[in-house]
Amino acid sequence: MEENSVTPPLNDISNDKVANDAFALQIKNKSISLPNGKVNQQYCIPFTFEQLGIEDINDFWFDGLENIGLKYNPDTSEISGNPTVAGDHKIKLSIKRKDWTENKPIFERELVLVINHDPKSLWKEIPTPTDTEYYKPDSAKQFLKVEASTGFLKFGKEFRKDIVVASQRGRSHAHEGKARDDDFGVAYDKGNQWYIMSVADGAGSAKSSRRGSEIVCKTFVEVCQSQLSTQHENFEHLIKEFSKETSDANRKKLGDTLYSIVGAGVFKAYKNIEEEAQKSGKPIKDFSTTLIVSICKKFKFGWFVGAFWVGDGAIGIYNKETQFLKLLGESDSGEFAGQTRFLTMPEITQPAELYRRLRFDIVPDFTALILMTDGISDPKFETDANLMKIEKWNELWTDLLQMVTFADDNELAAGQLLKWLDFWSPGNHDDRTIAILY
Amino acid sequence: MRRLPVYILIQTSGAMRGEPIESIKVGLEAMVASLRQDPFALESVYMSLITFNRTPEQLLPLTELENLQIPTIQQPTSAGTHLGEALEFLCKKVEAEVQLSTPDRKGDWSPLLFIMCDGRASDIQLFNQILPEVKRRNFGSIIACSVGSKTDVENLKKITDQIVSLDTTDSSTFRQFFKWVSASVSIGNRSIGATSDLVLPPPPPEVHTVI
Repeated sequence: MEENSVTPPLNDISNDKVANDAFALQIKNKSISLPNGKVNQQYCIPFTFEQLGIEDINDFWFDGLENIGLKYNPDTSEISGNPTVAGDHKIKLSIKRKDWTENKPIFERELVLVINHDPKSLWKEIPTPTDTEYYKPDSAKQFLKVEASTGFLKFGKEFRKDIVVASQRGRSHAHEGKARDDDFGVAYDKGNQWYIMSVADGAGSAKSSRRGSEIVCKTFVEVCQSQLSTQHENFEHLIKEFSKETSDANRKKLGDTLYSIVGAGVFKAYKNIEEEAQKSGKPIKDFSTTLIVSICKKFKFGWFVGAFWVGDGAIGIYNKETQFLKLLGESDSGEFAGQTRFLTMPEITQPAELYRRLRFDIVPDFTALILMTDGISDPKFETDANLMKIEKWNELWTDLLQMVTFADDNELAAGQLLKWLDFWSPGNHDDRTIAILY
Repeated sequence: MRRLPVYILIQTSGAMRGEPIESIKVGLEAMVASLRQDPFALESVYMSLITFNRTPEQLLPLTELENLQIPTIQQPTSAGTHLGEALEFLCKKVEAEVQLSTPDRKGDWSPLLFIMCDGRASDIQLFNQILPEVKRRNFGSIIACSVGSKTDVENLKKITDQIVSLDTTDSSTFRQFFKWVSASVSIGNRSIGATSDLVLPPPPPEVHTVI
């Protein structure tokens, strides 16, 4: 040090004082920081004075580590342990210089060691007050059992696919005692044998979106039921024609009829939100919701699946055996997370846009037709590109099989699916809804 | 995992010397401590701290709350208040640090910006030039906090319509302000979607809304 080089020779005592003062200053000004830790997560960091560039140390010790579950190990030169207490902890570092003897100063430095909570332990589960406007239960489930048909003299018994649905309020809502914004609706018509499914995710920022999602799911199912009851014969005829010959003309006729059924359901869903907005004197925006719907039926030549999708989430036909995957539309996502489109946006219900979002296909069979809100697609697929990857759907299906028994007429599946929805994924605590036809 | 980037821009020129800057430090610590109690913030908030006087400096690059340690803010000495340059610097940092969605990557939540300054800009020409750039960054919310007795609120109004002022610059007032900031950050986590305007909790009595 330059200052030392010009220091005049002094006697031992004052020489010692100068050295001590310089050392004290060095300790005071040195940037010494301990990385943050987390409760119940192994903490282990090396600590030496060499790494800090401080020399001439005889001994040092910490006060305040033990009571938070940590200790310094001189053999390994590590501070380690399993932190038990969250907070900004003041740790006292005491240091003796190399030629320390009784009555010589011990140098001290206060350090702050931050131990974070384990986020899991901070989530609160506050039930939604039942007097909340547009109250709905924090979770819901349904098993729509479609019993096997029995043929002549009980021969040729044919199993029929069932629908299982579960919807769970996200932790971010539970933490604040706010209601679930997601919703769903399903139906099966025994007469014409059509399945109808819908899931919707009310926008987190829109005040009455939980009502929006409820209206659209319910409306869609009702309208489709009534449309199918009057149109199913003509519609099924067009499906058969299309299965024989996938010409553009046949595709157009079938698409137009699908539009008059599914499109009508979606449009009426929007109109009913408009009506609710007028009745309650609230802006339509307050009811913002996404919507994913499907209608399907089994034919001799395979399954017809029609769909409409606006917003995030996903809908896909998945076949585990043949490794077939078909995504029935595209996810609407913006440049930032959480940005998407809603049914309530004026451009969505324009006829051309509505038509553009319709999808249909005929497939031989499938393991599952899955509709889900972004509370599930975000943690399980992460990106839009991953929605197209069969591996990701395989992972999802394997994961589901861990907890859900997809056996014919297994009514317990609804409860199992609801339990599955509780899976843990950091940063993903949105409402979760999934509807599966299997 | 989706990140919520939070940028904090603090003026550290001569006008902030003494009590104001000390109070800001106390307030920042209180804010971080309170965010650490929020599970959603712990899993998503990333924070950056930029100070400016004659030149801007990023004291803390965008860092996740879990690993964040508040850096030392030096007592101001320099006289210039180059707010324009600071905003230009901020835009560059946002450009480099905030991730937008692509088919293969999940984007961040739209970032939040908190500015604490007296609103004066010694580089008024650059300041006016940079304003459209700031708008283009699509911040989920920008909140300006005017500090000091001689403030230029007109300048702040050009940046945002959410401006608050503090009665005094003592540490308890700042603590209230930062507590409110952290509540706003927590809300920012959840309410982005149907509308681009963030609905913030009402400010505490020590914090006045300017307009």
